[in-house]
Amino acid sequence: MKFSEITESARFTLESLNSNKLRSLLTTLGVVIGIVFVILMGWLLEGLDTALEKSINVIGTDMIYIDKWNWSGGANWREYMSRKDINYKQAAEFCRTAITPEIAMPTVQKWGATVQYKNQTISGISVQGVPAEYAFTAAGTVTDGRFFSRAEDGFNAKVVVIGYNVANTLFPKGDAIGKEIKIRGRKFEIIGIVEKRGTFILDFIDNQVYIPLHTFFGIFGTSGRSLSIAIKAGSETNMENVRLEAIGLMRQIRNNKPGQPEDFSLNESQMFRDEVSALRMSTWGVGIGLVSLSFFVGIIGITNIMFVSVTERTKEIGIRKALGAKRSSILLQFLMEAAALCFVGALIAFAFCSAVIALAVKIFFSDSDYLTSYVPPQLLVTASIVSIIVGVLAGLIPAIRAARMKPVDALRYE
Amino acid sequence: MTSEQPIIHIENVEKIYTMGGERLYALRDVSLNIFPNEYVAIMGPSGSGKSTLMNILGCLDTPSSGRYLFNGLDVKSMSDAELAEIRNKEIGFVFQTFNLLARASSVRNVELPLVYAGTKRSKRHELAEKAMRSVGLSDRMEHKPNELSGGQRQRVAIARALVTNPSIILADEPTGNLDSKTGNDIMNLFDNLWKAGNTIILVTHEEIIARFARRIIRIRDGGIESDMPNEVEDSAHSDAA
Repeated sequence: MKFSEITESARFTLESLNSNKLRSLLTTLGVVIGIVFVILMGWLLEGLDTALEKSINVIGTDMIYIDKWNWSGGANWREYMSRKDINYKQAAEFCRTAITPEIAMPTVQKWGATVQYKNQTISGISVQGVPAEYAFTAAGTVTDGRFFSRAEDGFNAKVVVIGYNVANTLFPKGDAIGKEIKIRGRKFEIIGIVEKRGTFILDFIDNQVYIPLHTFFGIFGTSGRSLSIAIKAGSETNMENVRLEAIGLMRQIRNNKPGQPEDFSLNESQMFRDEVSALRMSTWGVGIGLVSLSFFVGIIGITNIMFVSVTERTKEIGIRKALGAKRSSILLQFLMEAAALCFVGALIAFAFCSAVIALAVKIFFSDSDYLTSYVPPQLLVTASIVSIIVGVLAGLIPAIRAARMKPVDALRYE
Repeated sequence: MTSEQPIIHIENVEKIYTMGGERLYALRDVSLNIFPNEYVAIMGPSGSGKSTLMNILGCLDTPSSGRYLFNGLDVKSMSDAELAEIRNKEIGFVFQTFNLLARASSVRNVELPLVYAGTKRSKRHELAEKAMRSVGLSDRMEHKPNELSGGQRQRVAIARALVTNPSIILADEPTGNLDSKTGNDIMNLFDNLWKAGNTIILVTHEEIIARFARRIIRIRDGGIESDMPNEVEDSAHSDAA
């Protein structure tokens, strides 16, 4: 293949597309739809991944929570229900005894509480009772104000650190610090706001409020609720040591006999990967189905129009062959044309997706920080390559037919 | 002249088409030699087989049997790509219907054979310009075929045939779509090309056009009826002048 033939083919391709604008546009529609699905699917998957990473970081990659429940074990809830609660005495003993973690602390929560500010109320709030050390975990990072101190925990101070959504709903002007809200009829002073961390995976996390552990017990009591033990390993390399010690120590505290399964669960942020991978798979499945279907239709359309183009230009093929064009030259010319047709389709799809994505983010996901408002650049590259491959596939049979024409027959064609 | 190697040597060439189980002889037992700087007219009525002969001579088609040596090389054993290369480098075609690419300017039409020869862009343009000048169209380089008259289109086609400096120029009814005045101009152009050293094969059914050539081969029913020098050439040329 000579370079001059390649540039010549490219030139003729552009002229050919240009002279059949409407036809090219209609032909490429199937490919446009296919590429649109490729881009939208890629965009959603990337959003999912971002959401996943954010969620994992919210909880902290070096965190282990010992609970009565297993976070990802929805199907076995009966078994978890029947487990004995982890009481304060057990949690405190664990935290006192464990030596591998950087921090280990008991936490406790009350779901479905109501928070009131003046005459506004929000329900469905989870109240977390945590010690002051919670400030050193990823989940306790305060953007505004401060976390409560050990002293405040010690004398049951009525102070509260509120989640992002709570702050946003009750104090849209951003003046929450120093205000008083009521939890279970008790007044609490707001001293801090936790940064926004939730995505659709952990959306409840921004609807939490944090009060000192002992204040919590004072208001909600200690009986009838199972505590969590929040453990910060300090580093990911220390996780395995912590896991081993946590299981051993907890079995001992909970009197699990040798050979008997544990009656508690170790939960880690990595468990969200399973949840997300199911979502990923279904997005993939639907996406691949739609993509293949539209490419199938698109390829048929392009193959068809390329047959028309080859027939229309039989005479031209004859002339070119008489002037010395080899089979490969003719093949290249028509493959290039089909590929260019699909590439134009890809360009249209980029424009369309950019508009749709920008609009969708603006209208439906305006507060999402995991979906990008533009088409991710690597998807442009992928879609371009895919479009060219589709074009070559679609153009192959017509191009071979063109290349194989006998010059004498092609020249005679009128 | 006859002591040189012929450009074209065909021997007992036959072309047979099978139609509905019946064998039709388009050419039977044709033998001829064409030497450098000859000006040959192949004459015959339509259906005589002269177009088939031209297609075979131009390597657009292959004979069913017989021998064809082009510059001493056996055409029958050549691959498709080798035939394309012969057409590209050794043969310049001029057709009755001009056969220019409608979408391309004159100069790009002329450049096309050089594109397939792999000539560099700047060199291509230089050679195309030279060929356009030699047919008197250096002021029509960027015109598209539909912006040119019939005579000008045929001149572009001749420039295209000349641009690779081929061994032979093969012209199939080159004046068939032109009025007689313009046709005469084109025939004078061929005459000049012949005088400049080119080898020309002219296919025509018109006696008056054939008379421009220096040798006339008459074809009838797929065979050569006569092959002789053109004894009236001088009078034909004085007519044209």
